[in-house]
Amino acid sequence: MGFKLWTNSGRKLHQAVPALADQFVKGEIGRRDFLQTVAWLGVAAASARAFAGAVSPVPAAAQEAPKKGGSLRYASAVMEINDPMLVTWTQASNVFRNSLEYLTMVDEDNITQPLLAASWDPSADLTSWRFKLRPGVKWSNGDAFTTEDVAFNINRWIAPTSKSSNKSAFSAIKQVEVHSDLEFSLHLSRPVLAIPEMFYAYTCPIVHRKFEEQGGVWSKNPIGTGPYTMVEFGVGQKATFRRREGYWGPAPYLDEIRYLDLGTEVSASIQALAAGQVDLITAINTTDIDVVKRLPNATLLSGRAAQTICIRMQVDQKPFDDIRVRKAMVLAADNQKLLDIGYRGLGVVAENHHVAPFQPEYFKLPPVARDVAKAKALLAEAGYKDGLDVTLVLGNTQGRWEQDTAQVLQQQVAEAGIRMKLNVLPSSEFWPIWDKVPFGLTFWAHRPLAVMTLDLAYRGGGSWNESHYKNPEFDTALNKATGIVDPKQRAVAMEAVERILQDDAVMVQPYWGDRYGAASTKVRGFRLHPSTYQSLRQTWLA
Amino acid sequence: MARMILARLGEVVLVMLAVSFLVYLVLEHNAADVAVKVLGQYSTAEQRALWLAENGYNAPFIERYGIWLGHFVTGRWGSSTHYRELVIDLLPPYLRQTAILAGTSFAIIVPLSFVLGIAAGVREGSLADRVISFVSVGTTSIPEFASAVFLSAIFVFWLGILPGASTMTSGFAWAELVLPVMVIVLYDFGYVARMVRASMAEVMTQPFIRTALMKGASPARIVFRHALRNALVAPITVIMLQIPWLLSGVIVVEVFFAYKGFGTLLYQACLNSDVALIEACAMVSVLVIVSTQVISDLLYTLLNPRIRFGAGAQGRG
Repeated sequence: MGFKLWTNSGRKLHQAVPALADQFVKGEIGRRDFLQTVAWLGVAAASARAFAGAVSPVPAAAQEAPKKGGSLRYASAVMEINDPMLVTWTQASNVFRNSLEYLTMVDEDNITQPLLAASWDPSADLTSWRFKLRPGVKWSNGDAFTTEDVAFNINRWIAPTSKSSNKSAFSAIKQVEVHSDLEFSLHLSRPVLAIPEMFYAYTCPIVHRKFEEQGGVWSKNPIGTGPYTMVEFGVGQKATFRRREGYWGPAPYLDEIRYLDLGTEVSASIQALAAGQVDLITAINTTDIDVVKRLPNATLLSGRAAQTICIRMQVDQKPFDDIRVRKAMVLAADNQKLLDIGYRGLGVVAENHHVAPFQPEYFKLPPVARDVAKAKALLAEAGYKDGLDVTLVLGNTQGRWEQDTAQVLQQQVAEAGIRMKLNVLPSSEFWPIWDKVPFGLTFWAHRPLAVMTLDLAYRGGGSWNESHYKNPEFDTALNKATGIVDPKQRAVAMEAVERILQDDAVMVQPYWGDRYGAASTKVRGFRLHPSTYQSLRQTWLA
Repeated sequence: MARMILARLGEVVLVMLAVSFLVYLVLEHNAADVAVKVLGQYSTAEQRALWLAENGYNAPFIERYGIWLGHFVTGRWGSSTHYRELVIDLLPPYLRQTAILAGTSFAIIVPLSFVLGIAAGVREGSLADRVISFVSVGTTSIPEFASAVFLSAIFVFWLGILPGASTMTSGFAWAELVLPVMVIVLYDFGYVARMVRASMAEVMTQPFIRTALMKGASPARIVFRHALRNALVAPITVIMLQIPWLLSGVIVVEVFFAYKGFGTLLYQACLNSDVALIEACAMVSVLVIVSTQVISDLLYTLLNPRIRFGAGAQGRG
């Protein structure tokens, strides 16, 4: 067989690994599933790739030699960064990502790699995880990085008074046990397979153990373990990072990264790119693609991402507390048309259960069919013979396409007698109320695993459960699925999860939209990350 | 003259007081809303109640207004919730940027519209007049957001000779000012030129112009020595009115070109319900507008001796 698999920690392979390797060799699971799953179980990514490569070789891409130096200008919103665990926009995390680091790192292929954690070994039943930290890491103020920092962070995320979204995401953690300066264990209340991947969520960077003592405002005291230090910061204006000495890892290529806030109009950023004033934009809309394609000094970046919009109804508010009304809304919608018209067809149709076909745990359910007659009948049954009046609140937080999609939906549901009014708010007015309105359109960014989103959004009591959905049956099915190692078995367990959510008609979730960005032709080594977490470690300027 | 100036200043103070009361009423009469805006949506009811008590919001409205006014005139303008800085530190750079933009635009609009207006007005009905009028009306009819897009498409994307965004991140750059100024000038010069033209045309029909012509004065002497001073009255008023427009009308241009000026500041403040910043920006705007009106009145008296020497005197040309 040639290549052997080994773990980051040097310990024995988890007992599930040989079975997975077998499945992969037999072709029962794909390369991506194999690499992703064994990475969670602590197998070194390099060995897994070599193993997979020996079995089914992937051609290597031709490489230019990277150049060191230069200053990259990145057009991006520069938002307030007080407490990293409380940020609600991924753009803020991209700014501090240069200075602050995470325990693990998930690359653009969704493979979890060690970062501050050098290795991890789960117990057989996945409820106990032993982590070993990387030795020799120093904070930018000279202090040593130890398990004390990690324990401080994890405990503040899950504290009862924590306002972070991490609290419900990591609700399975019962206890953090520190063994030494570099080793600690996590004890979970139920088996969770993807704990290492979850540590790369954008709200989970490791801050210094004295963070709260020193004021609790990161932008005023930007200590980090990362290769860059922040030398300038102005909310809504700019942020500048310079490479520093004393970083534990290989030095990145760029000397300096400058974040420039060019306002909310994407056109201003594209103009700046056209004139050579910025080098990188990672948030452009489908309507800007044509312009970028015509620019001689820029390239279009694209990627498939599990990002979507949820037109969700609060299940405890009239009229949506009646499941017949919700089912009528869902049946009156035509997801394919919504994708074609609202997003120019650049994506994949979704099935209203927030699990994407290209996410590892997807289980294929029969397609959702539009049925206007049935929708009308259900409404009549629920007591709305003459139709129903509702108002949809949205904020166009990612672009006008949210409004365009809502308008198409408005016309579709009108055929079933639902008179939908649109209330379009400026995005800054929408954010304070996004989870309070009874009927709203919310953008959800990509997460590598569907269970991460389902945990946050649909588990009873989840931090970001905007639809107030509470179904113990769903919670049990979800718990079961998150503990299964074998991708095929997990997908089977996900069938129950998907079906329950779909049957309960919580929302119209029409499509998964592809991501687009634009970069100057000088930029190399940059790939769009599906979750909008952009790391510039491998980027260099030609 | 001095008494008139004092009277005018008194009026300025009164207007500002009235506006400050209205602004404060609109933004802060509901104390609970202010607490939410300042502390954010994740704050609890207890935190808000505490903040309100600490900041004197439990007092009656008039008392709160009085305290706020006192703070305002002594320069304590509060802290911006969006930019996380003291408003009094935040405003000056943005104001300066808009002053540069408005000043440069103004410095081009005034001579340009005067030259065109005079050229059109001295010979009413001529070819020059027709062409200038047509161009003036045409350019004024194109709104700024449309001309911004057209000019950007031509100079940034097609010809590639001008920068597309004007954020001035590498320090001040004149090249980045060209497009925003071009948009503003194009929108505004036509209107002022037409006013100058109308005024000139009217003056040129006066008997004293015919007299000067028959005395053998050259056209230049007639225009600059005799006609212009009389023709300036109406256009001066219009030109001074452009200044307040420039202060707020530049929002579209500033946001489109990402120019960090007073317009973008007010825009962001309104979008983010940044109460302290909105109040300060509103008061600054009022101050600018009222001051320009006072200056306009003074200029008017300088130009028109009838007003300077009292209502009884005859016009002397």
